[in-house]
Amino acid sequence: MTDTTFMTGTSAQFMLRVSDLSHRVNLGHNTLTILQGVSLEIKSGESAAIVGRSGSGKTTLLGLLAGLDTPSEGSVELGGAVISVLGEDERARLRAQRVGFVFQSFQLLPALTALENVMLPLELGGLEAPEIRARELLKRVGLGERLSHTPRQLSGGEQQRVAIARAFAANPVILFADEPTGNLDNHTGQAISDLLLALNREQGTTLVVVTHDERLAGRCQRHFSIDAGQLTESGATPA
Amino acid sequence: MSATGKLISVRRDWRERDVRVLLAALMVAVATVATIALFASQLQKTLVSSASAFLAADRQLESENGQPIPSAWFEQARSRGLQTARMTEFSTMMSGADRFQLVSVKAVGQHYPLRGEIEFRSALDQPEKTVDEGPARGEAWLSPRLLQLLSVKVGDTVDLGRLGLKVSGVLVREPDGGFSMSALAPRIMMNIDDVAATGVIRTGSRVNYVALFAGVETKLEDFHRWLKPRLGPSHEWKSVRDGQALSQSLEKAERFLLLGGSLAVLLAAVAVAVASRQYAVGQRDTVALLKTLGVDSDRIARIYLRRLLLWGAVGIVGGVLVAIPLYVILSEVVASALDRPLAYEIDPKALLPALLTAMVSLFGFAYPPLRRLRTVPAMQVLRSQPGEAGRAGVVDAAIAAVAVFGLVWLYARDITMVLSLLGGLAVLLAVLAALGWLMVIGLRKLSGGGSAWRLALLALYRHRRASLSQISVFAMTMMLACTLILVRTSLLDDWEAQLPADAPNHFLLNIAPDAVDEVKTFLAQRGADVDRLYPMVRGRLTELNGRPVREAVSKDRNINALNRELNLTWMSALPGDNRIQAGRWFTAGDKTGVSIEAGLADRLGVKLGDKLGFTIGAQHISEPVASIRTVQWDSMKPNFYMAFPPGGALQNMPATWITSFYLPPSRDAVLNDFSRKFPTISVLSVGHVIDRIRTIINQVTQAIETILLLILAAAITVMAAVVSATLQSRQREGALMRTLGARQSVLVGSTVMEFALLGLFAGVLGVMAAEAAVWALQFRLFEGAFRWHWAVILPLPLISAVLLAVLGRWQLRPVLRVSPMVLLRRLE
Repeated sequence: MTDTTFMTGTSAQFMLRVSDLSHRVNLGHNTLTILQGVSLEIKSGESAAIVGRSGSGKTTLLGLLAGLDTPSEGSVELGGAVISVLGEDERARLRAQRVGFVFQSFQLLPALTALENVMLPLELGGLEAPEIRARELLKRVGLGERLSHTPRQLSGGEQQRVAIARAFAANPVILFADEPTGNLDNHTGQAISDLLLALNREQGTTLVVVTHDERLAGRCQRHFSIDAGQLTESGATPA
Repeated sequence: MSATGKLISVRRDWRERDVRVLLAALMVAVATVATIALFASQLQKTLVSSASAFLAADRQLESENGQPIPSAWFEQARSRGLQTARMTEFSTMMSGADRFQLVSVKAVGQHYPLRGEIEFRSALDQPEKTVDEGPARGEAWLSPRLLQLLSVKVGDTVDLGRLGLKVSGVLVREPDGGFSMSALAPRIMMNIDDVAATGVIRTGSRVNYVALFAGVETKLEDFHRWLKPRLGPSHEWKSVRDGQALSQSLEKAERFLLLGGSLAVLLAAVAVAVASRQYAVGQRDTVALLKTLGVDSDRIARIYLRRLLLWGAVGIVGGVLVAIPLYVILSEVVASALDRPLAYEIDPKALLPALLTAMVSLFGFAYPPLRRLRTVPAMQVLRSQPGEAGRAGVVDAAIAAVAVFGLVWLYARDITMVLSLLGGLAVLLAVLAALGWLMVIGLRKLSGGGSAWRLALLALYRHRRASLSQISVFAMTMMLACTLILVRTSLLDDWEAQLPADAPNHFLLNIAPDAVDEVKTFLAQRGADVDRLYPMVRGRLTELNGRPVREAVSKDRNINALNRELNLTWMSALPGDNRIQAGRWFTAGDKTGVSIEAGLADRLGVKLGDKLGFTIGAQHISEPVASIRTVQWDSMKPNFYMAFPPGGALQNMPATWITSFYLPPSRDAVLNDFSRKFPTISVLSVGHVIDRIRTIINQVTQAIETILLLILAAAITVMAAVVSATLQSRQREGALMRTLGARQSVLVGSTVMEFALLGLFAGVLGVMAAEAAVWALQFRLFEGAFRWHWAVILPLPLISAVLLAVLGRWQLRPVLRVSPMVLLRRLE
């Protein structure tokens, strides 16, 4: 897969650079502003948490940062590539190469086993020996014995582990997590946070996490909070 | 198997209910259309071969000019791979013992009959048997009536002209016997090679020379093309299709089969569309996830197109595998009804409509919702996004409608059928729109409450969009199934009405005007009521608007009615089964004008007011067309192409009278008394023709009923598809209601009532739309009179309500069986 617009993560000073980002939704008779003048810069290998109340625009921001959607104004630069001007298919290619996701509701395909769910991005990216890599990762997240189970046969925490294994499968340079502990109890949430951050360190991945979970946010290096569509950085935790 | 491979494997798909329904709908569609097509082509062959027996061949060429048919024509036919036989018919006096009798001679050559069999007895008291060749030289077979009239028995010798012939058998029935007016006098069958020796045929004798041909259809057509330019005005080329009494029934049956097939196509399309839409809705999250994982929209489109093709392959193969045994069973049923062996033949051409149906269902109905999956935004993975745009739906629906009606047209080749069904559906949609509006107005005022009724009505209101779309699909299904039931009922009723048990089985011809009353009295005394007597004048149609009719009419048309003398009549009252199509029937003072049969008017291109000129003997008359009327040729009553008013142009022409009546077969002896008392009146027995038509109609009826069952199976598949489409959300709702404390009885009651109401609405709408469609179909295609079908209109909505209530109760089963928590978790 050739890619001329993308610089490798290590050569870019900033993994993610957002300037003056706004997002509005047209509701027919009026326009709703969801994000207004958002700017941020995150370096390669950093971990960042975005916190905010429900409806503050967190999830919309995450979608724009990850290239799942395009902003009304402003630019998003991911690993040196301005993704906000790319078409849907170009963004999809970029995601396949460089981006991993973890979702609040896990988003595993119910018909596939744990192993197959993890293999999927590897196969889609045309990587070699997908099964070996998927087995390793599942073992790493503690599900080495549950390879052939389907999501329905797994608990919430286990499903999120599979999702984390899947997110790291294709060696992403940046990982976006949307409320990764939102559907889990405290204890399980803690374990998932541990796993996510540990893998993040091991793989040298940049991590952007949207969360309500203050403990998880507190363990990230940088903290942003969002309110009524405005983003402010509230401080940094030393790495 | 790889994860992506598994993602598009049919085996995995099979685990998804929507895919199962889609595949089932596709298989039912392919199976129904293939079965109908295979069976129709088989039935067609059987019917034609069984009807061919009426000609004793596939085609007949008759020469009425007293000139034998050239030998070169027979050679030409044989060189083209056709079988041939000869036959000569004439009337003459013959003697036996001490009596003389006018007889109708049929002299048959080698290979006669090419189709059908001769029924024969070796003596009057011997059992009947069938033979496939005529008498040997020097021998003759006489009809039982002729044996009695001449007082001879088998073994005696009769004299025909200069030749003595030994009576070697009793002719019970000839395959091509009896429905032509030439066979008036009692019959004798002899060998054609003996004719010359009798010396009765001289120049100018009135003799019919007939050539018989049999073979495959394409060769027959090729031969006819070769022959056509060589035919003279007195030659008549006859095929089964020209035999009006039968061909009308056959055409109706064929149309019914095509209608059934078309309905199967429509039903399948509806089922496939419903299942596919539901499947696509369920796939939106998967597509969003795949996009998040970096799959671009082209690849998404390819993944789903590949799936669709796989389903298509499975559906087609599965459908054909179901169709073949079904077809064999159907053929067996018909064969047993027909008492004749039937060769199964899988005609690949008959499978073509099934393949086309599968393709149109897949690409016209299943593909659009799947194609739109490529536009699902990746953002859907984070947050549910707005669904499909309405405009895309309208465009898809328009494409699908054009596709499916194009298919129906291609299949049935009948624009009336397409328009009737389209019209019925349009009526349905209009009423549905009105109903939707009423529902919003009427049900809005309801407020909450605990009773099952109220909950049911509230559920209808809250899900009004879904309810309306369900009602439309149910109503459409009801309409299509009901159309077929109604057409079937009318068709069978019409046939029954045309051929009641006491349908006339004898014709009397050549009744002199002064014998009319005497004949009536004679028959009435013996319990045989004559219906009505008609005067009959033989004449040729020679001019159209002052020009010779052959010039006025297109040369390519071989119109048999122009090749022979027509039976003309005058009458004051229109016969009960005739209907005026244009113009008006004669009133008391009318002395001019002629009423022409609609089919002939159409073939000649004759309109109201056109002047028709007739040559009757040496006289010529010319009359304007006053009315055009349809005639039931299969009614077994005297029917006429041309009718004049009493006291009109025909009044002073030499006429004889004609009538028909019913006589039970056990009382055939009356005919012998009749012939002795009225030796100049010809008696024509058509009982065996009626029997054969009845056999064919029975056979067709069986086929029609079977096809009706197939269509109903397809209809139930559609219903199941629709119910299954909402299964999950309804189960979740039910589980939630139980969690919130709804009692089982209320839950069951409200669901059952909601579905019963849906069924009732759909049933009423479906029946209304079906009546509209049937009205149009009946009027144009089946030529029966339209009537309201209360016996179907009243119970069908109730049946529909009960059926849906049962389906609703059935889908609630898991909600009642397991704890709400387990169910909610399972449905997550």
